[in-house]
Amino acid sequence: MSTGEENNETLVKEEDLPEGIILREHVVDGIQEYDQRLPFWWLCILFGMITFSIIYWLVMDDRSYEGGNKASLEAKLEEVATARLANSIDVTNDKLFWEMASNPAFVSAGEAVYNTNCIACHGAELQGGIGFNLVDAEWVHGSKPSEVYVTISKGVLEKGMQAWEPLLGQKRVAEVVAFVLSKNPDLKPTE
Amino acid sequence: MNTNNTTTTITITYDDDIVRKFMIASIFWALVGLGAGVLIASQLNFWQANFNMEWLTFGRLRPLHTNAAIFAFVGNMMFAGVYYSSQRLLRVRMASDLLSKINFWGWQFIIVCAAITLPLGYSRGKEYAELIWPINILVAVIWLVFAANFFWTLAKRNEKSIYVGIWFYIATIVTITMLYVVNHLSIPTSFTHSYPIFGGVQDALVQWWYGHNAVAFFLTTPMLGIMYYFVPKAANRPVYSYRLSIIHFWSLVFIYIWAGPHHLLNTSLPEWLQTLGMLFSLMLWAPSWAGMLNGLLTLRGAWDKLLTDPVIKFFAAAVTFYGMATFEGPLLSIKSVNALSHYTDWTVGHVHSGTLGWNGFLAAGMFYWLAPRLWKTKLHSVAMANAHFWLGMVGILLYVASMWVSGITQGLMLNATTEGGTVLQYPNFLDTLQAIRPVMLFRAIGGGLYLAGYFMLAYNIWKTARSGTPVNGTVEITVEEENASEKRFSTFLNAPVIYSALIVFALCLTIFSNGALFIFGMFLTITFIIVAIAHFEFCKASWNDWYEKLLKHGFGFSVLTIIAAAIGGAVQIIPTVTMQRADNIEGRIQVPYTPLELAGRDIYVSEGCYNCHSQMIRTLVPEVMRYGDYSHLGEYVYDFPYQWGSKRTGPDLAREGGLRSDDWHYFHMLDPRSVSPGSNMPNYPWLFKKPIKVKQLPNKIHAMRMLGVPYPIDLSEEDIQAQIDEQAAGIVARLAEKGAFTDPDKEIVALIAYLQKLGTYELTSEKDEVATK
Repeated sequence: MSTGEENNETLVKEEDLPEGIILREHVVDGIQEYDQRLPFWWLCILFGMITFSIIYWLVMDDRSYEGGNKASLEAKLEEVATARLANSIDVTNDKLFWEMASNPAFVSAGEAVYNTNCIACHGAELQGGIGFNLVDAEWVHGSKPSEVYVTISKGVLEKGMQAWEPLLGQKRVAEVVAFVLSKNPDLKPTE
Repeated sequence: MNTNNTTTTITITYDDDIVRKFMIASIFWALVGLGAGVLIASQLNFWQANFNMEWLTFGRLRPLHTNAAIFAFVGNMMFAGVYYSSQRLLRVRMASDLLSKINFWGWQFIIVCAAITLPLGYSRGKEYAELIWPINILVAVIWLVFAANFFWTLAKRNEKSIYVGIWFYIATIVTITMLYVVNHLSIPTSFTHSYPIFGGVQDALVQWWYGHNAVAFFLTTPMLGIMYYFVPKAANRPVYSYRLSIIHFWSLVFIYIWAGPHHLLNTSLPEWLQTLGMLFSLMLWAPSWAGMLNGLLTLRGAWDKLLTDPVIKFFAAAVTFYGMATFEGPLLSIKSVNALSHYTDWTVGHVHSGTLGWNGFLAAGMFYWLAPRLWKTKLHSVAMANAHFWLGMVGILLYVASMWVSGITQGLMLNATTEGGTVLQYPNFLDTLQAIRPVMLFRAIGGGLYLAGYFMLAYNIWKTARSGTPVNGTVEITVEEENASEKRFSTFLNAPVIYSALIVFALCLTIFSNGALFIFGMFLTITFIIVAIAHFEFCKASWNDWYEKLLKHGFGFSVLTIIAAAIGGAVQIIPTVTMQRADNIEGRIQVPYTPLELAGRDIYVSEGCYNCHSQMIRTLVPEVMRYGDYSHLGEYVYDFPYQWGSKRTGPDLAREGGLRSDDWHYFHMLDPRSVSPGSNMPNYPWLFKKPIKVKQLPNKIHAMRMLGVPYPIDLSEEDIQAQIDEQAAGIVARLAEKGAFTDPDKEIVALIAYLQKLGTYELTSEKDEVATK
């Protein structure tokens, strides 16, 4: 033995052991092994998880093999659609939009939504960019508030304007309409 | 047993030179891999750190970071540990020094190849399996060289009974071979490019069967083997429990493989696979903790050394992190938790508590223990090693804590709804990114501290090596020559093996059947389990005898390990792959890519866009609100490789097609911040300069056709060129209208074509639907 790898290692001896603890006879490269009992709480985790899995597989799971069966999700989406309809506003009422446009709370809420979502394409001053200029009195998709609403909510896909209503919801789109109208007072019909 | 024994005494000199080589390589690559990690972590906060250079973007460097950390740092450390401990546990020098050397130099060559090709954008587009096919073959060859060397050594061993550490090495070698080969099956289209033979959901399933078990059998089982050798050595205490080792090993090897689908929860992966993935992950909790217990309780009685000995400090912390990570794993696998955590930084934090905490600290402990022994000297500075420990510890805790905060914050914000649950509270994805920026910065700082610790380690080991001289360990042993004539058959035909087979059979019955057969299968499963337990309680001794015999029978042990590890994959993958595609498309079928779109998709893969963008709208209400209709399986049938992604640093792109204008994409790729203020995406100016690689397309389309994509059989090179020209001209014209100018042959045109195609599908006709039922 030139390096004497095991010289500084001491082995645990059988007679030093507390009662009930088994030390295996076999020693390999100076490593000994106890053979202690498995901790009870550990066995609880092991069998608890196996039992849970069996029960889950038996009771909870719809075990669908081909996918496509997303009934519970469809039901939840239905609920959301219902709630949206119940809270919907009359988006053909141009007068209502003008009332919103003269309400400071609506306009500032609309400005906030505009600044997060619209500013990238239509500019901080509504001067346009990738999207159209919104203060140049030219209204390609219609200048009535109800038409502006439709343009924002449904989008103009071939021009690259996405449909915002699914993402923002009716209220926030209406707020943006109010904000845009407030920047275009000339559009307001004279009474 | 035969009594005709003779004994001789021989002296064995171990090959420790190879251990020194692997150890130095591991430390070197650790600095590279961790350094790359700190760089890409900074890129998330400071997009300028992408330097506007294609070789340094996040999408290309993140694969470099993961591959370097897993295969270079931990890989070399694993080889060092395996070569050192196996020789001693088997009481024999490695069978062939030549094979050891081929193993070492081959592995370093692979790493260098990876470090060159990944930044150049050569990628297969699958996580931890990005390397291109020629390197894949090299990896397989070198791995088999290692396997040959190991099993040859095992056959020549002078220690008849195989120690628990060796069990884990055997599991590592056989399982990694299986995983690596199956997940890298590809059809080459050129020397640097190939398509995987699986597509869409099949590719997703195979990828995560591999990805999850790369963690299991590359980052966990060899580390456990190393733990079982070095922890009792360093603590000078017996291993806590042999019977716990047995249960630990077999349950871990069997259960781990099944858990892969937990990476695909709430996606369009069929429900039964998702449920299996979740349940087996939960069942994995106890087997993993068995490893932690055996490690920690072995240290019991050596706690006094914890104060002074850096090795014990590192080991105790490593095993504790292992316990933490393997509790967090099952937690994240619960479907409802996963709905929040998936695609966020929580997963990233989870992985790093495993790699930095468990692997990195175990590696450090092992290096500090080995260095004085390999160079026959004292460790240069114990104080510096202690300082490394505390620096690393603070680093990890900062890292993991910020990832918890970041992941949970972003998950909650992305799922938050308002106005009675009818609209998203934060419809703009960027709002959620801004919210986590400060914590992302802390992550980079934590990673930096951890890296600094490893620099201290490198210096300390360097000085230690310089102060000593390399020595090879020797040992004197007595060899008993047994003329044993045992019935080898008894390895396979005995109570424990038969019970296991019966239970697995009954389990498969419950998985694949309905109605009465299902109930019957469930009844059988429970009955077999109870009978097996009862039988075991009744005759423990004979089962124990059988196992002791098995431990002397390396071949039988390896075969049983392969079988245990193969079952889970077989049950999940074979039905998914062999099932008719038409059965599993949920009424929709993807429209195949045009040649230009295909070229664009390959750019998307090559740039590593999947590292930050998913293409999978999960079956969750907030996802549908944000990104549109949930994804259906049929929408991915022609995706080779699948690109569902695993992390959303940016938004999902599954329904990006047609959502925005071509010029929006043009300006976005040129400077993302011009259209998405506050974005952290790199600029991609080279896409506007590099030409599309049209020449490769005929080969690619041919490969696609072999894989079942319905391209016309008579599509000539001229046809392909004509189709490209026509589609590109349309895009260029539309861009020009908006003042965005480019030549039609540039990569940006192909990429826009691909992005605008995303999410395009056709409804299958009523007739087809009836036919499939």
